[in-house]
Amino acid sequence: MAALICEVVYRGIFQKNLAARITRGIVLSARKSGRWGIAFGRYGDSPQRNGIPAKDFAIVADTKEELEQNMARYEPKHVDVTIAVDDTLSKGVESWAWYGLQPINRLTVPDGTLLMTSLQSYDSLLQDIHKKDAPYKLALIRAKASFSGLWVYREDHTEVRILGALAKIAPSFLTLQGVGEAIRESEWGSDLKVDSAKKAYERLESRDVTMTEGNAEIPYSFEMPKWWEMREGVTIPAIPVGKPKEAGKGYVPERNPYFKKFTTRTMRPVVNFDTCVKCTLCWIQCPDSCFDVMPDGTYDANMEACCGCGVCEAVCPVENCITMVNESVFDDNASQWEMWRKDKQTYQAWMAEKIGDKNATVRSHGFRFRGQYEKELEKNFEGGGAEITAGIPGENAQHKEG
Amino acid sequence: MAETTTFGNATQILEPFRGVKRVTIEEYFTSGHRTCQGCESALVMKLMVKASGPRTIVLGSTGCMYVANTTYYTTPWVVPWMHTQLGSSGSAALGTAAGLKALMRKGKMKSEPINVIAFCGDGGGADMGLGAISATLTHKEYNSLILLYDNESYANTDIQLSGMTPYGANTTFSPPGKVKRLIHTRWKKNMAGLMAAGHPECRYVATVCASYAVEMMNKVRRALTIGGPTFIHSLDPCPKGWDYDPMLSHELGELAIETGIFPLYEVEDGQVKYYGKTKAIVEGRARKPVREYLLKQGRFAHFVEEDLDYFQAKVDEMWEKWEIPAVVPFRRLDATRAALSAK
Repeated sequence: MAALICEVVYRGIFQKNLAARITRGIVLSARKSGRWGIAFGRYGDSPQRNGIPAKDFAIVADTKEELEQNMARYEPKHVDVTIAVDDTLSKGVESWAWYGLQPINRLTVPDGTLLMTSLQSYDSLLQDIHKKDAPYKLALIRAKASFSGLWVYREDHTEVRILGALAKIAPSFLTLQGVGEAIRESEWGSDLKVDSAKKAYERLESRDVTMTEGNAEIPYSFEMPKWWEMREGVTIPAIPVGKPKEAGKGYVPERNPYFKKFTTRTMRPVVNFDTCVKCTLCWIQCPDSCFDVMPDGTYDANMEACCGCGVCEAVCPVENCITMVNESVFDDNASQWEMWRKDKQTYQAWMAEKIGDKNATVRSHGFRFRGQYEKELEKNFEGGGAEITAGIPGENAQHKEG
Repeated sequence: MAETTTFGNATQILEPFRGVKRVTIEEYFTSGHRTCQGCESALVMKLMVKASGPRTIVLGSTGCMYVANTTYYTTPWVVPWMHTQLGSSGSAALGTAAGLKALMRKGKMKSEPINVIAFCGDGGGADMGLGAISATLTHKEYNSLILLYDNESYANTDIQLSGMTPYGANTTFSPPGKVKRLIHTRWKKNMAGLMAAGHPECRYVATVCASYAVEMMNKVRRALTIGGPTFIHSLDPCPKGWDYDPMLSHELGELAIETGIFPLYEVEDGQVKYYGKTKAIVEGRARKPVREYLLKQGRFAHFVEEDLDYFQAKVDEMWEKWEIPAVVPFRRLDATRAALSAK
């Protein structure tokens, strides 16, 4: 290897600034380690949208010539290190552009590294990460996904921990000392952050993944239209209007067959059909029309269409009727309503387990109030990752009841 | 389908939905658009065509609702939809309405009232497309609705400042700095009031917010039923540009109304009618302090007390000093009125 190619796969907008800092940090660290580097985003991901998976790249090379050689590509086809800064991306990503679903390790070279921030076990992650036809390393930084927004950044040291880990993974390109110098010189750097990078270097966990391990699911893909198939005026057929769910009752809309959006989801709604009062609010307020109308008048969030915004939980007037739960604790996109119809007791037990998991229901998906990120970090440092409740819809719902 | 006539043009009679249970079950703007989690503008699109029904043509000028919805040769639209240029929503609405009328007159298509809706963002509508929209609103012989979805920035291209960006907000063009805290110090345009005041033959102008879905849909239905050129201004919370947890889209829409920052009203044949929570404010309910709304958004995270006070004072002024509170910014004409009545 004379060049190190890294991709950062992240949640659009939520982690835009984080990814920019990581790739920029890689280049600065490379310079401090006596190498050359460049950072760039993927053109097709712009304009970014909250939650829709996006990619940034960083290339480090021994010489300027090698760097230029790598820059001549539109985007790298193979990467030495894939960095995923949210572990729900392990289920695969459907980018903003029309590509179908791509496994998270798709571009990782044989014997390359997939570096993730996650609190999950290797086995749990490998249930989601697709099988690869070559062995690779799975390296983990023990951290929650760091989400913020465009204007207020969450200073939880994720960017420097990634840099520290990279110095461990690719010592011939980035030295820990170079990483430290780069961090100290950055406008967002500090001595504390240099220490964090060092700790990440020391504590990085990794294990080999064999070709037999991983999720065996075949990711969905689409046949792209050929130019000669395009119609006059570049028109395309509209989506047909939907149909009743069954026996003339309920309603299921037809959906855009070429963009499913569910890999945008970081949390999903879990619905208690027994306490639903059929008020229609989740259905009518869903920006993604993901709720199918069931024959009994309840609403089933279609997991092929839901992108996990959480508006349904916010508007639902019944306590705990809709609860957003982290995507990592689910294995498929099956219908919750069908499961409930089949066996209500089993469903209640399943639901209680999902919404009772405090680690999976705690939410930090961007700005709610000033000082929120600092408060959250304080609680994390004190241990336990306690729930931050100010300004969240639970409070809002109580207010509405009153 | 029932029909009515305005200026000799038939329109569909779309009675208001009486309650949420009576709302059309079908979706005419469906899943699979590439908008942000919690995108209120996508919700506006969905509700807009739910309200108008299947016999509708939608024209979209460039902006999030064009780029996110219909790029890469796919679509979430069930009704016919066509893209038009950034500043052309007015021209596209007028041209389509006139084209339909001509085709029907010549017998080239079945004569029936078809809803024509053109949407534009605040950049495409309030900045670039203002002239074309204004022209369309004077063409009383053609039925069209122009819906401005206002997320208060050029959100598609990553949040540049528009004429509708609120005072002091952080955008790509107005980042707060150490030397200068507020870069954007202009007050937002008053689009609905401007359209209502400036176009005497436009029979219907309304403001809406998708947090109040049924009322929002009923305003769309009223605009399409009354006929002629009509205009609706919708305030759409934007998790990307306003920087908040997408879960709170609905709540922020409510807060914009409850604080009195965005009033809900309709102007039908020159009569101003407030509705919803705005009506309650007009009838004496206290407005919530603007800080409850502003401090929930990252774009105002740099505000100090002084900025909050200024913002509050400007909103107070809207309600206490304007000739028609929160609608038309002229100061009260008490002296003139007294003089006129003395004659």
